Amino acid sequence: MGDNVRRGRNTSSSSEQLNLIERLARSITWPRFIFAVTLTFFICSILFPFYWMVSSSFKSYAEIGGRHPVYVPSALRLDAYRELFDPSDPNFQNFGRNILNSVKVAVPTAVIAVILSTLGAYAVARLRFRGKGVLVNGILLVYLFPAVLLIIPLFAVFSQIGMKLGFSVQDNIPVLIITYLAQTIPVALYMLANYFRTIPAEIEQAGLIDGCSRMGVIWRITLPLSVPALVSVAIYTFMIAWNEFLYALVFLNSRSMFTMPIKINTIFNSPSPQPHVVMAASTVMTVPVVILFLALERFLEKGLTAGGVKG
Amino acid sequence: MKRGQLSRWDSLEARESRLAWLLTSPTALIVFGLIIFPAIFSIWISFHDVTLRNLNDVFHAPFVGWKNYVRVVNDFAFKFQNFRQWGAAVTSVVYSFASTFLTVLIGLLAALLLNKPFRGRGATRAIFLFPYVAPIVSVAFVWRWILDPRPSGVLNDVLMRLGLIGAPKAYLATRGLALLIVIVFEAWRYFPFAMLMILARLQAIDKTLYEAASVDGAGGWHKFRFITLSELRYVLGAVFLLRLIWTFNKFDDIFLLTGGGFGTNVLPVLTYQFSFGAYNFGKGAANAMILLSILLVFLLVYVRTVMRSTD
Repeated sequence: MGDNVRRGRNTSSSSEQLNLIERLARSITWPRFIFAVTLTFFICSILFPFYWMVSSSFKSYAEIGGRHPVYVPSALRLDAYRELFDPSDPNFQNFGRNILNSVKVAVPTAVIAVILSTLGAYAVARLRFRGKGVLVNGILLVYLFPAVLLIIPLFAVFSQIGMKLGFSVQDNIPVLIITYLAQTIPVALYMLANYFRTIPAEIEQAGLIDGCSRMGVIWRITLPLSVPALVSVAIYTFMIAWNEFLYALVFLNSRSMFTMPIKINTIFNSPSPQPHVVMAASTVMTVPVVILFLALERFLEKGLTAGGVKG
Repeated sequence: MKRGQLSRWDSLEARESRLAWLLTSPTALIVFGLIIFPAIFSIWISFHDVTLRNLNDVFHAPFVGWKNYVRVVNDFAFKFQNFRQWGAAVTSVVYSFASTFLTVLIGLLAALLLNKPFRGRGATRAIFLFPYVAPIVSVAFVWRWILDPRPSGVLNDVLMRLGLIGAPKAYLATRGLALLIVIVFEAWRYFPFAMLMILARLQAIDKTLYEAASVDGAGGWHKFRFITLSELRYVLGAVFLLRLIWTFNKFDDIFLLTGGGFGTNVLPVLTYQFSFGAYNFGKGAANAMILLSILLVFLLVYVRTVMRSTD
């Protein structure tokens, strides 16, 4: 290929256009070509589902139900969003309530998980105590047990306790939060312990020598130095609770208590299919997560590899 | 109090140890109460007749020995019948291995793409993580909407326009094809995890190895085969194992995509159907224990063969 181009330059070297083609042809080598094609394929197959989700959410009922798919919606129609949020719509879904439920579950989960795992992670990273090995290995076990295995005994035990104390297992947000803590604390503890180990111990020892207690050192030295890690762990655990499906499916029973994933599942499985409404609800649920992730990508990536979203 | 006792009680080591217990006790309580205890309790449930009737009095449930296990193994949804009806046990194994293999392969390809600097690498890397970060409910339903069996489904429309298929296909409602699609979905959603882990290792490979190989006259393929792959050996093994465990335990993906129908029923979904569809918790727990045993056999074989051979 390069040979042809060089010959071409010899015959009509003055042509400006050929110069451009020549430069292009020279820069395109086989490896680069394969690289570009593969990269394009990757990006398209990743982004197309997201494009399809957002664009479908702006389609009208006619565009959704037509004989052929509509690749670009004719206008930014808000029919689907009106159905989700506008009380005057005949098919009003009251999705705002489901968003609120998700927030009510995800925010306490994140806050409690960060507080408890900060304490635990500090002890694991800095202090020597008996039973540390058992604790750390016990935490790793959560990676091995499937959620469906744990949910049966949890359901049985909580209904037993609930009967004794007079609360219902189902539609009980605190119960759901407690089960989410079991899923988020191990990951949070693992991430934070790794972070605390990167803080030089000398700084803390200086504080101890100056007369601070251990708790004083944690509060005045370690925590202020760990703000980025704490924020990313909080967001991370928030995302796990926000996305969780199985436990919410089992523990939530009445429509008014549904979190977003369960509500979307219900809309999807309703007798009259309304894909545009499902896509609008999915968009509402996905956009905050993706924006949070992009804003904090640098911190969160560490979490993705360190702990993994168990799943 | 004697002096000796006082000083031991008050020594730095003892104080640190007490503080460590104080700090870790909430975490330990959650880990043991919500992970270890339920895991043990589910063994107990699997040997007892627990249904919705006696759920409130679960500790007095009648002991039934191996009956639950026998009923699971003889269930037509569980056992292998013929090459058309695989049953959940065989499907689970095939599905987990195939999708883990594909996930790691695509993750490796993506990591190689992003390993060398190019313009827009940071943004591309962020986009590559989208499938992993987005809520499972959203992405599963977008896929279902793209794979819609009507002629107006996007994939049907595109393939029909290209002349690749004559009539619209019901991708998620065709035996064989549905399993294939679910495997592809897993790879699409989870390759970013493999990519991040592999990329971190790739960037740590000593560049002088490649230079030395070039001096020795090694070509691109040889360098990849004998340097890159051999340096990645451990991380590839670790990623494969982690993803295999998680895929084997995964409930959400298949439940949302096919509901376990059309030859895609796997053990976690079957566990859910036994426990929360038929409300036979004993049978569900027995199924979950079988799932866990298969997983433990994997781990044992893996540790004894793969890890020994790489040492």
